[in-house]
Amino acid sequence: MSSTSELEAKSIDSIIFGILNPTFIRRYSAAEIFTDEVYDEDGTPITGGVMDLRLGTIEPNQRCQTCGSPPSKCPGHFGHIELPMPMVNYLFTKQIYTLLQITCRSCGRLLLSQDRIEEYKKQIEEYKEKFGFVPERLYSQIIREAKRMSNCPHCGASQYVIKWSKPTEFYEIAPEKTTSRINPSAIRERFERIPNEDLKLLGINPETSRPEWMILEVLPVPPVQVRPSIVLESGERSEDDLTHKLVDIIRAAKKLKEGKENGANPVILGEFENLLQYHITTYLDNEASGIPPSRHRTGKVLKTLTQRLKGKEGRFRKNLSGKRVDFSARTVISPDPFLDVDEVGVPEAIAKALSVPERVNTFNRERLASLIRNGPNKYPGALYVIRPDGARIKLDFVKDLNAFANSISEGYIVERHLMDGDYVIFNRQPSLHRISMMGHRVKVLPGRTMRLHPSVCPPYNADFDGDEMNLHVPQNTEAVAETKELLEVNKNFITPRYGAPIIGALRDLITGAYLMTRKDTYLTKKDFLLLMAAAGIYEDPPEPAVKEPEPLWSGKQAFSLLLPKDFVYRGKAKVCANCKECDENNCPNEGFVVVKNGILEKGVIDQATIGSEKAGTILHELILRYGNEVAHNFLRSLSRMVIKFLQLRGFTMLYSELFLPEESKKEIDDLLNTAEPEVNKIIEDFRSRKLERIPGKSEEDSLEAYIMDKLSEIRTRTGEIASNSLGMNNNAVIMTRTGARGSDLNLGHICASLGPQSLHGKRISRGYIGRPLPHFRRGDLGATARGFIRSSYLVGLTPTEFFYHAMGGRESLVDTAVRTQQSGYLQRRLIHALETLKVEYDGTVRDPYGNIVEFKYGDDGIDPSKTFHGVFPLEVYFNIIVESLNLKTKTEVSDEKLDSILSKYSRMLPKILVNKLKNEIKTYGIAEEDIEKVIREIVKKYEETIADPGESVGIVAAQSIGEPGTQMTLRTFHYAGVREANVTLGLPRLIELLDVHRTPKTPIMKIYLKPEYSKSREEALKVARKLVYKTLEFVSTEIRVLHLRNLALIVLSDEALQEAGLKRSDIVKALSLAGFKNPKFSKKRSNVILVKLKEEREATNLDFSASVEKLKLIPISGVPSITRASVEKEGDEWIIKTEGSNLMEVTKLPEVDPSRVYTNNIMEIQEVLGIEAARTALIREIKSTLEEQGLDVDIRHISLVASAMTANGRLRQIGRHGLSGEKVSILAKAAFERTVPTLVDGAIMGETDYMKGMTERVLAGEEIKAGTGVIDIFVDLPSS
Amino acid sequence: MLKDNLGFNPLSHELSPKYEILSEEERISLLKTYRIKPSNLPKILDSDPAVKALGAKPGDIIKIIRKSDLAGESVYYRLVISE
Repeated sequence: MSSTSELEAKSIDSIIFGILNPTFIRRYSAAEIFTDEVYDEDGTPITGGVMDLRLGTIEPNQRCQTCGSPPSKCPGHFGHIELPMPMVNYLFTKQIYTLLQITCRSCGRLLLSQDRIEEYKKQIEEYKEKFGFVPERLYSQIIREAKRMSNCPHCGASQYVIKWSKPTEFYEIAPEKTTSRINPSAIRERFERIPNEDLKLLGINPETSRPEWMILEVLPVPPVQVRPSIVLESGERSEDDLTHKLVDIIRAAKKLKEGKENGANPVILGEFENLLQYHITTYLDNEASGIPPSRHRTGKVLKTLTQRLKGKEGRFRKNLSGKRVDFSARTVISPDPFLDVDEVGVPEAIAKALSVPERVNTFNRERLASLIRNGPNKYPGALYVIRPDGARIKLDFVKDLNAFANSISEGYIVERHLMDGDYVIFNRQPSLHRISMMGHRVKVLPGRTMRLHPSVCPPYNADFDGDEMNLHVPQNTEAVAETKELLEVNKNFITPRYGAPIIGALRDLITGAYLMTRKDTYLTKKDFLLLMAAAGIYEDPPEPAVKEPEPLWSGKQAFSLLLPKDFVYRGKAKVCANCKECDENNCPNEGFVVVKNGILEKGVIDQATIGSEKAGTILHELILRYGNEVAHNFLRSLSRMVIKFLQLRGFTMLYSELFLPEESKKEIDDLLNTAEPEVNKIIEDFRSRKLERIPGKSEEDSLEAYIMDKLSEIRTRTGEIASNSLGMNNNAVIMTRTGARGSDLNLGHICASLGPQSLHGKRISRGYIGRPLPHFRRGDLGATARGFIRSSYLVGLTPTEFFYHAMGGRESLVDTAVRTQQSGYLQRRLIHALETLKVEYDGTVRDPYGNIVEFKYGDDGIDPSKTFHGVFPLEVYFNIIVESLNLKTKTEVSDEKLDSILSKYSRMLPKILVNKLKNEIKTYGIAEEDIEKVIREIVKKYEETIADPGESVGIVAAQSIGEPGTQMTLRTFHYAGVREANVTLGLPRLIELLDVHRTPKTPIMKIYLKPEYSKSREEALKVARKLVYKTLEFVSTEIRVLHLRNLALIVLSDEALQEAGLKRSDIVKALSLAGFKNPKFSKKRSNVILVKLKEEREATNLDFSASVEKLKLIPISGVPSITRASVEKEGDEWIIKTEGSNLMEVTKLPEVDPSRVYTNNIMEIQEVLGIEAARTALIREIKSTLEEQGLDVDIRHISLVASAMTANGRLRQIGRHGLSGEKVSILAKAAFERTVPTLVDGAIMGETDYMKGMTERVLAGEEIKAGTGVIDIFVDLPSS
Repeated sequence: MLKDNLGFNPLSHELSPKYEILSEEERISLLKTYRIKPSNLPKILDSDPAVKALGAKPGDIIKIIRKSDLAGESVYYRLVISE
């Protein structure tokens, strides 16, 4: 043990939860607290008061009277209060109630016959042995069964009904209906009689938690360290809320005690008892329902024990899961493209305040000494020196720095200023994924902001509109090493979310690169050399592209200098117009990019080839083929060269550039002029009922859909006209087309028209009666009246347009605010549900208790951050290997031979790679003797890409799904086209899936038909009609009750019958099926059915509405809950899409192909097809939800989430009622949600927390057993 | 039986993977490869339609062969538990 610390470092192996028993409380107590007085006149604590010095002290000049230590050493000691009467512990009331109900009031046994008890005991044993756990369900079944007993099977005593009068009183009602209170001491006595064996049946551990301990007879008093008092400026003392509460309790206890001793009136005694119970209850939980919260004199609600632990500001989340740290800095950030991407610019003021400990040795002694000489205020200097004896010397107080500097020798530790090259961790909140914290190299710079290279903005999601970022300085070599090797920007170019670089060129770098590589860019010798120098290329320039009259170099030549000499690349630029016929050689936009032998031959460089958050860019290929270092150099040189180029050339944008030429203006005007008449025409059709209804939509909805469609089409076309007429030499267009900033849509809004505004995905229709604004007539459905903005930003909006725009604008603000909250919570739930999952040495994904979630991570075991956009780039590696081995090619190998060689490796490679490899070998024609050599190299490559043991794949998956959640739209509905059905999408759908809702908000089915029905639209339509659920209401125009004859009269609608594909007689059949006797057609009118009512009714009762309502709901045809069905062609077959879902019933239909029916209701799939099918469907749904939003997430993450959700055999939601709620660790559950109830349950069950998960270890301040934390020394002890 | 109330065999649905019940030897070798107790395996309920169709009993281990976009084919195991 070192001399500086008397505290020995120990690690917590496990924590056992339980209920403190009175004996223990007394034994553990340092002092009995019995007086409500706290201090005497001179301010010293009174012995026996709540600030008793035996409980420890926090006053600097006092000593603890129990351990004799000064405040810094005294850990604090508990005291106790003897209660004059037993009191109910409020936190356990629910359990007390249950126990009273299920145990005998006379003998205390569990109210189950001995046989049943034995049976259950056996079942519990079996579960423990076979599956390692006892399901909650079994315990609740036992409780339910015992509750039903009215007599004790053991002693025969009859049981009374127990009533719980909240919050803390219990009564029993005797058979003769007399109610009597069971006071706490009686409860205690009853509980004392419950045998241990019976408690075990309820999951209660009698060793740690005898039920009688749930009744308090003595109350522990926490030491003062837990409830420090503060001295106000006025010299007045202000006590902690808990201290106040304890004083209240003592006062109430004293009153009760005196009352009892003086033989006071029982009513008054009862009052006193209630008061004491009230204080104890509010001491435990001041938000207890049913009682008023206890308040401070000022009226402020007191924060008592539960409130201290609970919630975001509670102990668990505020102080234990996250802690404040030293050696950190925070300030505003600003960009600096001349920094390296992995550097961070640190202001000198910060560098002087942060320190790095460096141990003195022979090599650095002189350097460190000179830093000491500079002292703490002169940069570069030092702040502290730690002598080998542990003493810490603050250089501020050292008078002769020079002499002190000369005195240091080996073993001293100098805490010097932060200096260039030091590794630090840089972070921007919200830290949604692991690359929100990365390692950077320090570069000390003047100024007051921290600077970073603009290319690292995407992982942090940073911009420079006032963002602040945090910086942390690692304080030991291990931390520095991890920062450098794992966290550094260099090592994190590729995000595990989608296996492609998240870092790349941005904004000006893209504009610059585009302008530089355009074919009309030529540079003089001077400029070209300047670019080379800026990029740090010190070699001879290449041959100039133009020699006469003066030598000129092309911009492409400059760019080529940045590439490795053997680099090959083909791809399309962002400016590619996606022409129908691509002329690769003569693209007018230079959209086709060709790099050969490191020379950019064709095409321009823009977002598609060097942009960030993109797969398949030049940067991505460089990482894949040459590694991070080369890619890093490329990015650094590129940004320096491009910035230099932009400085030479200049780039700006003019307001006047956005004025359109007259003819385009005219064209746009003409187009906009058609908007109003076109819309009016649609409205006209609608009013005269000529409008064709869209299947699955009402007439009104169809009208709106047609109008929306028309208006957005007009707006899109105006935008196109504008953007096309501006042309590629317009600076704004350069930015939008190259992907540097802005979009065509933005441009259209600025110079053509803003187009239709929307609220909740529909045209604006709310506001005044029948009109959104008073400037229009009621019922006006025209374009302008419902929020079509004809003007552009350039022209300016009219007053009404301005209002409509503000409405839409507000919606998007509200949307953003709501979305951040929802996705933040989703992220928290995902993290808590998956945090424990990591890859083990055998490649499985398990929780810390060894339970397997996936047998091979992501099916192939590959870490997505080592892939090329999710796939193992076998072809690339194959070519590299073949080249490096210098193999002969074009020899033939027989298939059998190849297969037999490959089969040897089939266990080492995933099947899909074996097949791919076979193809490569065959097409390349590798000679037989070389095949194994190649395969072995590929296997080696594969093994390198496998996820490392200890990798926290659960957290990575949670982050990879949670982080893009922030970018999702909240807008539920989405207009892909007029005919598209409304389906919940985006964040609400993702939440719905992960929450495992019983039914989705918009259930839909996709039904494939047997071949005989899928060939023609008509056949399919017939089936579709049959599917839709129709009740009597739908097929009738009138339902009436003929009172005197007790008959119902139903008038059928032939129109509706036809639509449903039904005959009149079908209705009669349906009625008889529904149990109506003998329904008949009326003799006079063939479309009227008469049916006898089922129920007899009194002649005086003339209200028939209930009967009519019942009749209306009689099912006639179709599948329940399918509300709409439409047909659609998919490939060469017709399929049916429905709104509403009923998998079970649909599979039974003879026309349907049951093996291909699909529904978006995962729960239904679980019930009908099983958990495995549900898992597959869940993956499919999450994937398509993310894809629809244009979010790229590797399938491995989705599949891990789905595996975890289905690992227990049934779908478990991400959150409190599922994965997080079923966690083994009490502490982890408590840190998530329901803090106090979780702890209480843990205490009753006497559970043990083995501290294996992530949260628990963070709470206890232990190293986490994941990542580098799994490395440990294991010793095989000789077996005894 | 099941077929009657469902109308078709759930194992034939395109969402369903291939299922097999492990033999005693396979079972032992599986537990040995992964050094686990049966309770460490992912679970499947005995009331699961696929388990019913397969006729597996609680305590059985089911081998599940899924089609996989990433690996071509992937193998998973689940322990049948009673509800």
